[in-house]
Amino acid sequence: MASAVEIKGIEKKYPGVVANHNVTLTVQKGHIHAIIGENGAGKSTLMKILYGMVRPDSGTISIDGKDVVLKSPHDSIALGVGMVHQHFMLADNATVLENVILGSEPVSFGGVIQHTAARDKLIEITEKYGLDIDPDQNVAELSVGERQRVEISKVLFRGAQILILDEPTAVLVPQEVDELFSNLKDLTAHGLTIIFISHKLDEVLAIADAITVMRTGTTVASVDPKSATKKQLAELMVGRELPKRREVSTQPSNKKVLEIENASYSAPDGREILHEISLAIHAGEIVGLAGVEGNGQSELIELIMGLVKTSGGTVSILDEDIAEMSSRKIRDSGVGYIPQDRQRDALLMSAPLWENRILGHQSTQPMSNGLWINKGNAQKDSERLVKEFDVRTPSINVMAGALSGGNQQKFIVGRELSGDPHLLIAAQPTRGVDVGAQALIWNYLIEARVAGMAILLISADLDELFNLSDRLAVISGGRIVAILDPEKTTSEELGLAMTGEKIA
Amino acid sequence: MSILTKEKLKKTVTSPSRIAIIVAVVLIVASIVRRITGADDITSAGATGATLRFTIPLLMAGLGGLWAERSGVINIGLEGMMIAGTWLGAWFGFLHGPLVGFICAAIGGALIGLFHGFLVVKIGIDQAVSGLAINLLALGTARYLSSIYFAPNGGDISLSPQVKQPGVFSVPILSSFLADLNAKNIIVISDAAGILGGFVTEVSYATVLLFLLVPISTWLLWRTRFGLRLRFCGENPVAAESLGVKVFRTRYIALAISGMFASLGGAYLCMVSASVYREGQTAGRGFIGLATVIFGNWRPTGVLAGSFLFGFTDALRVRQSTSVHAILLVIVILGLLFAMWKLFQRNYKVFGISALSSLIVGVIFLKVPKIPDEFVTFFPNLATILVLVLLAQKLRPPAMLAVPYREREEGH
Ligand SMILES: Nc1ncnc2c1ncn2[C@@H]1O[C@H](COP(=O)(O)OP(=O)(O)OP(=O)(O)O)[C@@H](O)[C@H]1O
Ligand SMILES: [Mg+2]
Repeated sequence: MASAVEIKGIEKKYPGVVANHNVTLTVQKGHIHAIIGENGAGKSTLMKILYGMVRPDSGTISIDGKDVVLKSPHDSIALGVGMVHQHFMLADNATVLENVILGSEPVSFGGVIQHTAARDKLIEITEKYGLDIDPDQNVAELSVGERQRVEISKVLFRGAQILILDEPTAVLVPQEVDELFSNLKDLTAHGLTIIFISHKLDEVLAIADAITVMRTGTTVASVDPKSATKKQLAELMVGRELPKRREVSTQPSNKKVLEIENASYSAPDGREILHEISLAIHAGEIVGLAGVEGNGQSELIELIMGLVKTSGGTVSILDEDIAEMSSRKIRDSGVGYIPQDRQRDALLMSAPLWENRILGHQSTQPMSNGLWINKGNAQKDSERLVKEFDVRTPSINVMAGALSGGNQQKFIVGRELSGDPHLLIAAQPTRGVDVGAQALIWNYLIEARVAGMAILLISADLDELFNLSDRLAVISGGRIVAILDPEKTTSEELGLAMTGEKIA
Repeated sequence: MSILTKEKLKKTVTSPSRIAIIVAVVLIVASIVRRITGADDITSAGATGATLRFTIPLLMAGLGGLWAERSGVINIGLEGMMIAGTWLGAWFGFLHGPLVGFICAAIGGALIGLFHGFLVVKIGIDQAVSGLAINLLALGTARYLSSIYFAPNGGDISLSPQVKQPGVFSVPILSSFLADLNAKNIIVISDAAGILGGFVTEVSYATVLLFLLVPISTWLLWRTRFGLRLRFCGENPVAAESLGVKVFRTRYIALAISGMFASLGGAYLCMVSASVYREGQTAGRGFIGLATVIFGNWRPTGVLAGSFLFGFTDALRVRQSTSVHAILLVIVILGLLFAMWKLFQRNYKVFGISALSSLIVGVIFLKVPKIPDEFVTFFPNLATILVLVLLAQKLRPPAMLAVPYREREEGH
């Protein structure tokens, strides 16, 4: 059978970095082909080249056996290539439907958009593939998981034959991942080809028909998933042994850092989203918040960060009610925050890295004296973060947007752990980082916990929750439905609790 | 949890009925105030006619600004494009009549719009700098060309020869019927008749045609493929490009339309609002156009409302000064009604601000016998600031407005 994609000798240089070097990749038609590699290995760059968004310095690409030159996504779309990007490509200020149809709008004479036809087609697709989204909602109101589903619908709507999925599962919980994968299998059965990038090696082994490993910009190995193990993959990616996890034995203290008592929250339109939540986190404790995305996690975070106000109950940090406090004050009182969507909520993409270091600390020492920012300190501390958190970047003066996704994430985690906060709200702290960096970040979180930090960990990754948490709080339908001990709970039990089933 | 089955949360009161209520309230208040103060002009057909003549140029500048901004480019050069419109309209109108005047102004404006596009889209010059350059260039060029073309033809360096105005019409029966009704002096009804009369009596064809650009813009921007793509260029050009939209080309077209509209506004100014080109005729209307875009929340109907507000005050200034005083009372009453409405909604902050400002205006109404003209000119600006303060959270500017975009920008 002709190969769907054949890439040979691709080179791509950015100032100070070689993103792709002599890349070779062959993808069989009808395969699910996984590409794995460390953060900054050049996976996204390669995919953007295949999608026509980035032009290679040299090398050849052929699609369905024909050599092609891709000048823009326009060309690749015409050849049946579709891409779900690692970072969302959505307009907040437009509806889901508008975002989906853009670029391939069904029109009648005169270029008038056939809204009803488009809407019906979208609903048909979302129903067929179990993608739960509302065509008429504004994207601004969507949660991260919903945005992900919009992105996937976008590609399906175009009827692409070759799908590129750059970390499509980074924010999905296991059930959703299973659902997505069964859909993908369905698609390949219809002759579609799928290239997907993931840092979750279990996932890769479970679904891929072929695996290509990238390291420092080049393809280093092709692996058969039937015979490979997780450990082998990890070592191929990193080229060395993984850092060992630290074992901890300290107990949480009984000093309450965060205390939520009967807190409720209603959306501006009156729907109750959080219902009488009660939860306390002590110094030196990590509480994992488990739940299917969209069950109130985002709103709970926003409550704690002072971004929205409770409609009942109280939230206090170190015995101080935050009801009247602004987000600025809350942060200054010693709260770190790793948001779910890093590019939207945590970074200024076109500002240098060292300026991004100041974000969130712009009113406190040592980043500023309240009036002037301290450039020297910011640069010095950025250097430290780059070193300690293994952020792969040519310098601290490049724009945050020039870093690979995982490296952006590492930088944010480092920033939020700086300045010794009492409380850290960590939403998907290892989203999109490779296994090596994940171990590194976990170790830092555990270290912070031992030093007495209270951490609320929100994660879609059950491993992460089990590995780090002292207690697991399960949220479903805006209520805390169970508090579980990770030592005595299986992932099946947790999964059931998350979907609202009673645990026997 | 299926979101598809979740009930629709369309919370906005359907806008037509809302507008109807607002119009009715304003009408009643205006009618009462006219009775109290005797300022008959505020609801006369003449005032409406004048308002229209002052509104259209602002509307055109505003729509021009809207088209540019929806595509992600700020067009500070609107003023310059209007100046070009006044000059071209006057010269070609003088030579070949108003129709040719308007057509030439449209073409010239579109070309200047493309030039702005070339500078900011292609070369990547800062959008504000390019806009200012266009303003200065237009000012100087118009004066230079006037000395060459107008001076020998009965004008001078800052004045054109007389230009013929485009034709006017009155809607046959309706116009006189409304005039009669207005004369009867029945409360509210006569006022409504007076105001409506202005829309059907001695209206310029140009007014009607340009007015149509409001629904046309709405239709193009929200119903067509071209409009959807254009709006995405302003919201997220990287995403648009990733789906094969040609961001550069779309922005060029948007700026051509922007320039064309602003220039048409200029042509209207010299051929309908006046019948001669005068230097400085645009008097900053291009900038006010930009303000109406914000005031109108980047929507054509909003721009229209903003232009009416500015146009109305402009018209007042040139008519009776007693009207201005009376209008203050209208503002006080409307402001208090608005405050009460907010109190009812328990929005105490907005209630406080609007109640306080109404009271201040009330005091001015009682204590100051004649409002200085300068204040009247300034009033719409104040209103815009108030809108910004009161509605800031509801304003939805295009997300990537004025952010330079390089095609195939890599990364992110
Ligand atoms: N626009 C850009 N400008 C400069 N450097 C860039 C740009 N885009 C990517 N790079 C660099 O190219 C290298 C590869 O980046 P890429 O995004 O392809 O990595 P990745 O394998 O997708 O990593 P991750 O798993 O973290 O997403 C990185 O070192 C990155 O800093
Ligand atoms: Mg990547």
